[in-house]
Amino acid sequence: MAYGKKRANTTNALFTLWGVLVFAFLFTPIAVIVVYSFNSGRVLAAWKGFGFNAYVNAINNDIIVSSVITSLQAAVGSALLATVLGTLGGIALARARRGAWWAAGLTGILALTLVTPEIVDGIAFLPWFVTLGVDAGIGPFNNGLVRLIVSHAMFSVAVVTFIIRARMAGIDRSLEEAAADLGASPWHAFKDITLPLAAPGVLAGGLMSFTLSLDNTILSSFVQQPGYTPWPVYIFSSVRVALRPEVAAMSTVMLVLTLVALGVVGLVLRKSGESSTAIIKTMAGS
Amino acid sequence: MRRFAAKILGPGALAFPTWAYAVFFFVVPVALVLFYSFGYKPDEFTTVATDRLSLERYAESMTGSFLATFAATLRISVLGTILCLLISVPFAYWLAVKVPANRRGVLLAIVMVPFWTNFLVRTLGWQIILSPDGFLSDGLQQLGLLSGPLNILYTRAAVQIGVVYNYLPLMILPLFVAMDSAGQALREASYDLGAGRLSTFFRITMPLAMPGVASGCLLVFIPLTGDYVTATVLGGANGSMIGQIIANQFNTAQNWALGAAMAVVLILVTLAVVAVAAAVLWLGRLITARLTRVQLEGI
Repeated sequence: MAYGKKRANTTNALFTLWGVLVFAFLFTPIAVIVVYSFNSGRVLAAWKGFGFNAYVNAINNDIIVSSVITSLQAAVGSALLATVLGTLGGIALARARRGAWWAAGLTGILALTLVTPEIVDGIAFLPWFVTLGVDAGIGPFNNGLVRLIVSHAMFSVAVVTFIIRARMAGIDRSLEEAAADLGASPWHAFKDITLPLAAPGVLAGGLMSFTLSLDNTILSSFVQQPGYTPWPVYIFSSVRVALRPEVAAMSTVMLVLTLVALGVVGLVLRKSGESSTAIIKTMAGS
Repeated sequence: MRRFAAKILGPGALAFPTWAYAVFFFVVPVALVLFYSFGYKPDEFTTVATDRLSLERYAESMTGSFLATFAATLRISVLGTILCLLISVPFAYWLAVKVPANRRGVLLAIVMVPFWTNFLVRTLGWQIILSPDGFLSDGLQQLGLLSGPLNILYTRAAVQIGVVYNYLPLMILPLFVAMDSAGQALREASYDLGAGRLSTFFRITMPLAMPGVASGCLLVFIPLTGDYVTATVLGGANGSMIGQIIANQFNTAQNWALGAAMAVVLILVTLAVVAVAAAVLWLGRLITARLTRVQLEGI
């Protein structure tokens, strides 16, 4: 018995060691970027000394600032669009009768968008936007920001829809039926009962689409227009030339902002009475 | 009338905007790519023409360098998926089973932080770490573990590290969810019935986690196969992936027909690999199920 317990302790220690190693693996590059954002040299990878020059230079670099602004605008826009479409789709799917053709079709198409490599989305959107904007003369599709928002929302819609569907599937339908029995119109039942129930999923989905959009490089590089270069595309293009510490500085600022935003969302979800594991799972979209 | 309204305002109608969006901005443009792949590039200044349809672009894409890059890409993505799985299974098990429940949420949130940091920036972090005149290289040389500068950046090994790193959270998460949501009671029952730790792990925990394994592998393998950003940053000239070749057809060569054909080949091969993996898994399950049944009958 004592021997068995000792062996169990050893395996537990090995598991904990593995956990610590994986965490170290996950965080080393991020820590390196944060540290090197204080590099006072001209080249990111060559450490010359500690300083805040990179931060000052980043803020004063118009190209960097405008690309970050473009990215944020695209992220907010596509998150809103994807959240509205995904919420409607997710609620509809959760309420669909078994075997409804439109539900099966929608699930299939959205699943396909999730498994399509990003490069394929990119080369599909490029000619399509040219067709819509130039050939068909639909002006908005020539606008760089519209292109980014529409294309980014395309792959977030599936994520939001599936998050909302999972959320709504676990919720008893009788609440909405009770509202209808008590005389609420379909619109009121939707607004006062269904939407609040879906709210944590909506928040999680919106957050997911926001980060997916901020991260997007390949698709963006295909649909971007002059004057609307998003942040990751800017970084990717400067990788080929020479990386300066400004990139690390701006990334550190964005990391801090993301963490603050995540913390706020976590607090909001906690107030709505979710357990912490459930919150993370919702935010991670599972 | 009321019934008619209910039908129109039913869940199907609610889904209409999502439907319309997915068709207009996914199905149609991707179908267009398929259509272009049968076309050709008529002259230097036109990207694609489709008045004459043929399979010639597919034949044209099958050059030696395309196939070699494709093979190298698949090697990296298959190996990357397997490595992610091997790293994640013990980690997710530790997180879902060993860590006390009250600390699980915090640790899971920490796992997600890299996921919420720009993946290109994280890749740049690796570029600094692996650089031949970086701190790791200097440190290893001072310790005498390395005789010359670290020679790993701009090789396939660096690309492999980078992709495993970038896609790891996408494997951990579904595995964690699958191991967390079910099984504690079954695991305890298994122990009570006298099964050992290993036996419980392989006969209770892993079978229950199979849906997580499947979705994790899909989430890692498919985007990884199409990714070329990680490979460009860490592999340099040695990091050319199939996605880069397709992108070049659209950006540099301006040959949409050929690029489209290559993209269709990419999709088909990706799906074929997934199908083969699924078939192998299914066969494996069938065989283990049969073996355990025989064993039970023997008792």
